[in-house]
Amino acid sequence: MIPEAYGVGIGWRPEISGFFADLPGLRFVEVIAESVPPTGPLPTGLAGLRDRGVTVVPHGVRLSLGGAEPVEPARVTRFAAVAEQLDAPLVSEHIAFVRAGGLEAGHLLPLPRSREAVDAVVANVRRVQAELSVPIALEPIAALFDWPDDELDEADFLTEILDRTDALLLLDVANVYANARNRGTDPTALLDRLPLERVGYVHVAGGTEHDGVYHDTHTHPVPAAVLDLIRELCARHRPPALLLERDGAYPPAPELRAELDAMAAASGYPTVT
Amino acid sequence: MSGDLAARQAALVAALVAGADVPDGFDVRLVGVARVALLRKRAGEVARHWPLLAAGLGTRWPGVFLDWAAGRPTGGGLRDGWDLARTLRDQGTLPLLGADELAVREATARYDGVDPPRPRRCPALVRAGGAVAVQVAGRVRLLRPARNR
Repeated sequence: MIPEAYGVGIGWRPEISGFFADLPGLRFVEVIAESVPPTGPLPTGLAGLRDRGVTVVPHGVRLSLGGAEPVEPARVTRFAAVAEQLDAPLVSEHIAFVRAGGLEAGHLLPLPRSREAVDAVVANVRRVQAELSVPIALEPIAALFDWPDDELDEADFLTEILDRTDALLLLDVANVYANARNRGTDPTALLDRLPLERVGYVHVAGGTEHDGVYHDTHTHPVPAAVLDLIRELCARHRPPALLLERDGAYPPAPELRAELDAMAAASGYPTVT
Repeated sequence: MSGDLAARQAALVAALVAGADVPDGFDVRLVGVARVALLRKRAGEVARHWPLLAAGLGTRWPGVFLDWAAGRPTGGGLRDGWDLARTLRDQGTLPLLGADELAVREATARYDGVDPPRPRRCPALVRAGGAVAVQVAGRVRLLRPARNR
């Protein structure tokens, strides 16, 4: 059930496609599922990675698994087709919603940590799992605000969803850091309570402070505190893989390589550069 | 409070993207921070669809986009940029590069501002903010770029 150890990877984006040619140790990447054509030829760079034997994991961002409404069947079918197209060993999506009442939010929004929300997520994850032939990993998001009437704490909320769906956990240490910083809590306290043996892989990303709040932007350098959290995580249970997410304001290649090297050093996995 | 997750999610999204009041109990300041963060992300997406429009506005791009987009739900990056470019054209504030881009888009597809743009089937000659573009048999060419008057 748990994927093999791929070590350090990075999210494939068309803007930095050329960067991937010079990463000899790279064994896995992630791609935004909605950006992959479900049939027909893959984007050139991505096809080249597949030819090199690099594992490509589709990462959905628009299924809206946390929506109160059932997940849209056409989106699920497309998501499953992309997984087949990439021959992916697992897929991932978020514990979040992105639309409601006919309006698109444009980003991942937090759920109330209520039993009703757990039921909604579980029902939608099961609908997706019914069409998938591989495991799905679920990612808790970075939230800029919380709902006013949470019934469960974050660890119980996540654990209940994982238990009831038998899904893997996609743990984003940058999200754990962001939430802890913005809520004034200890990020390692959450690590101590999550089922770390269920982690399929880990996300790592940068962010910045804005309006007195830490934003998980994916367009800034990875803070030292997030690298520290990788060490804390690996000291408890080393995940099979760690993946850098960069989604814009792309730095010169040496800076990205240095971030991948820092992730390797923090986790003890081989460098891929 | 339970049993009404759909309505509560809808009210929250409406507050974030459509100018509705922040639902009771939420931290109004933090929801406001999230609202602006969503607009900035959206500005980046629109700039990817309309690179010349964004480049033409230069450092004013984020501000112009945020002013226009606040309280206006998205129709996707392509349509948002199209709607904004038309608004700026009507105001006489469309930058030259944006006019070129708009003319090419108008020649490429028919967009009524309500439904998604559809490729034009007939030849078309369109003007936008001083730029002129032509489309014949699916091939689009900028005949005359916009110029400073």
